Formats: sequence, C-alpha cells, structure tokens
Amino acid sequence: MRSAAALETRSYVVSYFGQAAYSEEGDCPGGINPTIEEQYLKNLAALGYNGTEIEAFAKKAVEEGGNDIERLMYERGRIDGKPINPYVYPETVVDPKLVALTGKYAYGFDLDGRGVDDPDGFTDPETKEAGIDNQFFRAFGCVRPYRGSLAGRPTYWAWAWGQLQDSQPAWLITLSGEDLDKDGEVTVTFDRALEHLKSNSDGSPRHDVSYRIDSDPRSHNVFRGEIRDGVVNVTEHGNFRMLQNPLVAPELNLKSTHFRFKFRRDGSAEGILGGYQPWREIYFAFASGGPAFEVCITGDIVGLYYLLKRNADADANPTTGQNDDISASYQVEAVPAFAVPATDIQRKAAVGG
Amino acid sequence: MTRRVLGNGLIAAAVCGLAALPILSSGVAESAVQGSAPEALVRRLTAEQYQNIIADVFGPTIELGGRFEPDMRADGLVAVGASKVSVSPTGLEQYETMARTIAAQIVDEKRRGMMIPCKPAAENAADDACTRQFMVQVGRLLYRRPLTGAELDAYVGAAALGAKLTGNYYDGVGLGLAGMLSSPKFIFRVDVTGSKPDRSGEYQLDSYSKASHLSFFLWNSGPDAELLDAAASGDLTTKRGLARQVERMLASRRLEAGVRAFFIDMFGFDQFSALAKDTTLYPKFSTKSATDAQEQTLKTIIDRVLIERGDYREIFTTRKTYLTQELAAIYKVPLATIQPNGAPDSWEAYEFAPEDPRAGILTHASFTALHSHPGISSPTLRGKALREVIFCQKVPAPPGNVEFDLVNNVAYKTARDRLKAHASEAVCAGCHKITDPAGLALENFDTAGTFRTTENGEPIDTSAVFDGKNIKGPADLGRAAYEHPATTSCLVNRIAAYGRGGVARSDRPWLTELESAFKKSGYRLPELMKAIALSDQFYRPAPVQSAPETSASAPPRLGTVTPVSTERRQ
Repeated sequence: MRSAAALETRSYVVSYFGQAAYSEEGDCPGGINPTIEEQYLKNLAALGYNGTEIEAFAKKAVEEGGNDIERLMYERGRIDGKPINPYVYPETVVDPKLVALTGKYAYGFDLDGRGVDDPDGFTDPETKEAGIDNQFFRAFGCVRPYRGSLAGRPTYWAWAWGQLQDSQPAWLITLSGEDLDKDGEVTVTFDRALEHLKSNSDGSPRHDVSYRIDSDPRSHNVFRGEIRDGVVNVTEHGNFRMLQNPLVAPELNLKSTHFRFKFRRDGSAEGILGGYQPWREIYFAFASGGPAFEVCITGDIVGLYYLLKRNADADANPTTGQNDDISASYQVEAVPAFAVPATDIQRKAAVGG
Repeated sequence: MTRRVLGNGLIAAAVCGLAALPILSSGVAESAVQGSAPEALVRRLTAEQYQNIIADVFGPTIELGGRFEPDMRADGLVAVGASKVSVSPTGLEQYETMARTIAAQIVDEKRRGMMIPCKPAAENAADDACTRQFMVQVGRLLYRRPLTGAELDAYVGAAALGAKLTGNYYDGVGLGLAGMLSSPKFIFRVDVTGSKPDRSGEYQLDSYSKASHLSFFLWNSGPDAELLDAAASGDLTTKRGLARQVERMLASRRLEAGVRAFFIDMFGFDQFSALAKDTTLYPKFSTKSATDAQEQTLKTIIDRVLIERGDYREIFTTRKTYLTQELAAIYKVPLATIQPNGAPDSWEAYEFAPEDPRAGILTHASFTALHSHPGISSPTLRGKALREVIFCQKVPAPPGNVEFDLVNNVAYKTARDRLKAHASEAVCAGCHKITDPAGLALENFDTAGTFRTTENGEPIDTSAVFDGKNIKGPADLGRAAYEHPATTSCLVNRIAAYGRGGVARSDRPWLTELESAFKKSGYRLPELMKAIALSDQFYRPAPVQSAPETSASAPPRLGTVTPVSTERRQ
C-alpha cells in the first residue's frame, strides 16, 4: 500500500494489552455472576445432585478442600450419560446462563456503522461516540475477573499480561508521517518483535529500547490513518493478524480493524484496538488452561463459552446462522522504542560489523 | 573450632609482626625499618591489585571470600592515598578471612595437584622439603621478591606444626600459606631503597622494588616470574635490561588492565559504587546502568589510546564508543543485537551521528550522571569535576555559611536561572564562575545522562564562555577540553603520581620533561607510560609531600596551586 509521506517515524513497544473495560455501578442489574465456588455448587445441581448431597460436598470442601467437587467439574460434560471433558466439548454441558452486561458505556468503535440506531450499541466514555460495538465486553462484563477500567485493569487481563510480557515477543507500533505533531496522514504499522518487552528494575516498561522486527509476514500489519488533534486513527479498516500466545489466543485476528492512539506527555501513548474477532479463538484460549484456569482465574469456562456464543454479533454462519465473530476492543499502552529490521542486524553480524 | 583457634595462633606466629601493621602504613616508619634510606613508600594493595595478584598466582577461579576496606583518595588518586592508609582491626580480620579462604582452596583436593609442585612423603605428616619448594615458588610471587631464609623457615615451620597438630600435610601447608597471605609483606607494597652505585649520594629503589613499580604501573598487579628473574639477574639496573622489560610489558595484553586501573583511579570511578538516582524520576537508571556507564568510558578510552594508539585528547571529542542496550535506552539511540532473549547485554561498537550532541567522554553518563545529584543535574558538580579531575585544578570548597535557598528555588525553571540567582551573592559568585560555564554546557544531559532540550518546560541554553572561549554546548566543551593545555599536563601529572605513588614540587623538571615527550609523541599514552617507566625519577623514592595541582605550563590558573589533600566523595 502507499505510505504517507514519511519524514518522521515514531515507534512504540506495546507495554500493556488487555480487554478494554469500563465497569460501573448498575451495569449488571441481574447482579454479578457467581464466584466459581458458588457456580460449581449450581453446576452440581445441574448434574443431578440433590440439596443434601450438595450441602455435604460444600461442607467437605470447607473442611477438607474442594477436590471432590473439582473432580466432578472437570468431567461435567455428558454424552449419552458418560462424563466428558467440558472444556473441549463445552456444549456437552448445559448452559449455566451467566448474565451479560447491560450498561450504557463501553470503549470501542462503531464497527457496523449503525450509530445511534444500533440497539446493542454502547457509548464510548472517552469519545462519546454512540453505536459502539463491543459485545465481548458485554459478554464478560458481569463476570468478576473481567470487571475493571483502563486504570484499574481487570484481574484476568492484568494477570494474563503479567504472564505474557516476559514470555511473548513484544508487539511494535510504528507511525510514519510528514509531521507527527501536526494533523495529517499517517501510516500505522504493527509488527512483532523478536525480543520480549524490556522492563526497568521497578517493573515499569523501559522506554527507548531497540527491538528487532520479526520478518514473519503473519505479524506485519499496515494501515492508513490520520492524525487529528493529537489522536491517531486508522482510516482503512482491513484485517489484523498478530501471532500471540496461547495463554490468551495463539493469534489475534481482527476484521474491520479500528485503532485510535493518543500521545502522552511523557512520550508514551495509549489507545484502543478494536474489530470483529472469531469468538471461538477467544474461547479456546480460555479453555486451554482447563480446570486450573477455571478455579484460579477465569471463572466458569463453559459459562464463558455460552456468553461468547450468545453475544457474537458478526459473520453469521450461512449454514447454522450462528455468528462466528464478536466485536471486541482492547486497551493498548505503549512506550517509545526503536523498531529495527532484524535482517539489518543479522547482515551486520554476518559481516562482523 | 579447634582447628580455627589453632590456625589463628599459627598465622599470628607466621606473620611475625602483624601487630605492627598500623605503623607500617607510614612511609617514614617503613624507612626506619629498612634503615637505609629516607622517604621509602609503603602502599596498601588496592582491592583490584590484591585480586589481580591472587588471580595471577593461583588462577582466576579462586574466590576471595572477604571484603576490602575502603581506599582513600589523596592528591586526586587512590594510588597516592594507598600510602596513607592503614589496616583497621576489622580490616585485618577480613584479610585473615580471605587468606584462610584462599589457602583452603589452594590445598583442597581439587587443586592441590596443580598448585603444589610436589607430593609429600605422607599425607598425614609434615614434609619440609616439599613445603619449602612450594613456599619458595609462591612466596616469591606474593612478596614480589624472594623470601628471606628466616621468612621461609617461619612458613615451613608453621606448616610443619600445622601438619603435626592436624595430622594432615595439606592442612599444614594451608595454614602456612594463610600466614603468608595475612602478612603485611604481602598486603603492603614496600619500596626498598639503597644508595645509587655511582656514589652520588642519591637513593634509588632496589631491583625488586623497581620490578614492583613497573608491574603495578603497567599491569596493576605484581611482577611475573620473568620480571622477577630480570630483577634477580640485575637486568633492571641496566638501561638495556630495563628497556627490554618495559617493551615486553607494554606489548602485553595485560597493559589494558594497567591503563584501565589508572583511568578508574584518575576519573574517580570508585564513586560509582555509591551512585544512585531517584528511581521515581529516573526509572531507567539502575546499578547496571552505572556499571555499564563506567565500562563504556573505559572501553572508549582503551579503544582510542591503546587499540587505535590515538591522541589521548581524542577521548574528549570522539563519537566512537561502545554501548549496551541498557545504555542505548538511556541515550535514546537504536541498538539492536542478535542476542537471544534473556541473554546478558552485549557490547556493540557504536558511533554517534555527526548531528548527535554526544561527542567525547564528557557526554558519557560516566561523567554527566556521576557528577550530578540523585534527582537533578548539577552544572556545578560537573564543572568542578572537569576542573579537578580532567584539569587537576583546585576548586575552593564552598564557605560554611553558604545559603542554598536560591539554588533550590523551584520558581527558577532551569539550572542556569537558579545558579544565576545563587551567584548573585558575592560569596558564591567567585567559585561558580570557575565551575558553572562548563557544567551549563552539559545541561542538555539530565542527571541520568539522558539528552533533553527543556527543563521544567523551559528551553535549555547551553551556551557559555569557558576559559575565554565561546562554547555552544557539549561538543564544543569536548573540543575545548581537547585544546586546553591543562588536559595533557594534568594527565602527565596524574599518571606520574599514580605510578610512583606521588609527585612533589621538586618533580617539576621531570614532569616538564614528560609533558614534552608526551607532546612529541602526539599525545600517545603508551609512549608516555614508556617514558615514565624508563625514567630514573620513576624509581626514586616517592615523596611524602603532596603533588602540585597544575603544571607550570597550564594556563589559565584557577585559585591557588595548593595541593589537594583529599578529594570529595559526593
């Protein structure tokens, strides 16, 4: 694609990436979904255990630990009455009917262009734009580990980022334009680095570190955009693909990619990345952690499956009618970095430079 | 426990005179012991010298197992302060702990076969002949001279007694060796002097002291076997023999260790151990940044003066340096490497672009960060460091009643404004005229050494008039340092004092001669070191008096030429 006249280039390394949350009082009128311990007791009932039996399980769990319950939960799927792994085959479990969010606000973009006419549309608390499509936030917004804000990151996403930042090659964002301090055209490039995110000794992301760009084309994304009033917005909404980490999803795939990015005074930047994402990829990332994730961090994984399925809002499958994608928005924070083509470095090393 | 008590006694017996250690810390006292010549100097080994000797004699894998007492800086150098320090009771304990730790490793089953050149007749009893062979060999290297018969008998006897009481030959040898390592004869360098054979009435160092002078000067370690052989054969008393050894040592890769040690001393890099920045304001700056900053400058100097054999003054102007990713982030320059994730940073050759404000070591973090406060830069500290460290000029201490309110007043956005207000007080103005112009030229570097163009939102003005020259910023300051006559005269003064243990006013003709030779060589440091190592004056007993601060040929003068007795440690 044609690049904007590139007289100035700024690169950033992503220093936080997680679901963009905007939780507030009253956005879950039906209440917050149960904790995993409470949900497991409900699941026991769904499996056919009576009140006395469930009480006995609960008593034993308090006194000796919850191993008996957990063992039953790990095999709570049923096919022909036989126990089945529920994480791999979530539809072998009856939908626990976790509730979704009904609040007014969510970060994101009007992906379908329906604006105020979109009955499912949120209002973005930052841009005040109506018709925001962010069904991923709606789906998980009443499950405890996913509630939070941009500043108070949801527990799950904060934990996930803590795992990813030291184990996943960093993501790079490069802006090129004539003068990035003025309004005008800009080219926004997303790449994957070969190095992990570097941190300061206090754990904060380190500014101005050099990262080599992974030449793998699967993680190379270029979008045309513009700067208006100090905010970068992608104006060409193509597909986004970035290799990620199985802990969250092996790949982050988005359609109708939207991105806004604003500069901070300290040189860092923050923004929102949104688009339609295959919801099964999201689900299987959660499911891959199995019971350990379910107990410790994610909450009822089968419940999440049904939340995603019910709230998916794009790309209806022509055969089943089920939507395959869900609108999603992610919070992006980034600090200044140098993005260096890996081939340059390897060539230099090869000639002993 | 029994062995430890026993060992203490044996070591004390073997050391013979350890109680006199504090007395031996004075050159005058040592002269009296030698009974031959005045002004013989006694210098405590620096921590690095101690480590180097142990590594040279026993190998680099030997762990010391202790810590050293702080060194003292005098006349701008730890090498001069080494003749003014003693050993405290705690320090003595540490030396003894290290001696035991080292000795235990030498005689352990893993190493004894390599370290001890013979096998005892029986492992459960003394073997004086074998012990003697070992003690002669290592004693010569540790004491930088052959052991006297009495010394040898004492250590062999101590080892025999140890073997008898412990029932183990190697434990006995270990105790004897620990005694040798605890001795002031190892811990202190002693200049032994005698009358010159020409009956001129002058004194000169004996051959072994000459060998030590050479070796510590050029390699920052004790003499190797070849140098000791040259001392034994009398070669070092002849011009040709001395030149042969000097050439050999200058050609050795070990010269780098000597040059590094000198610049670490001259530039006060020992202060890095206490360098800290406010991590709330400067989260990037860590102990690794400090370590790397020091190493960056040392690598740059070694590259310029040794590898490239360049003009010493180029270290103030060169854009060529070495960086790690740690430093590159602080300097905000790209530096990608092919190191795998998690691997330690590698050093990469780097050249700052012509338009980059960084040129020369004054723009390195080793200067800008070292000579700053934890949370804010300091033109005054930087300017003072340039005057004292690079130019050997004396900056008077601030008066006791100085008022710091103005210089700390945040209503003034930039350092220039704060200092201007502060210097409006007459009592402050004099010194700040000396220090601040150079420091203001470096104000583009914050206290962590990162480039900036504003302070508190206000543009930074780095123009100044420095010793009569208009300069616009860091690169101009480096060029001014390159051209300043004090730059080279100071180096000559410092390196001569470093090698010899001090210089006095009476050394002025020698220093002038060296300055001339240095200039003639194109300011090549190895040539200067060679001229020093080949000069008679280098082997004359070092003065107890302090050094002159500036050379006679180094205008303009600042303040007085009163010697600096000790240097600040801020």
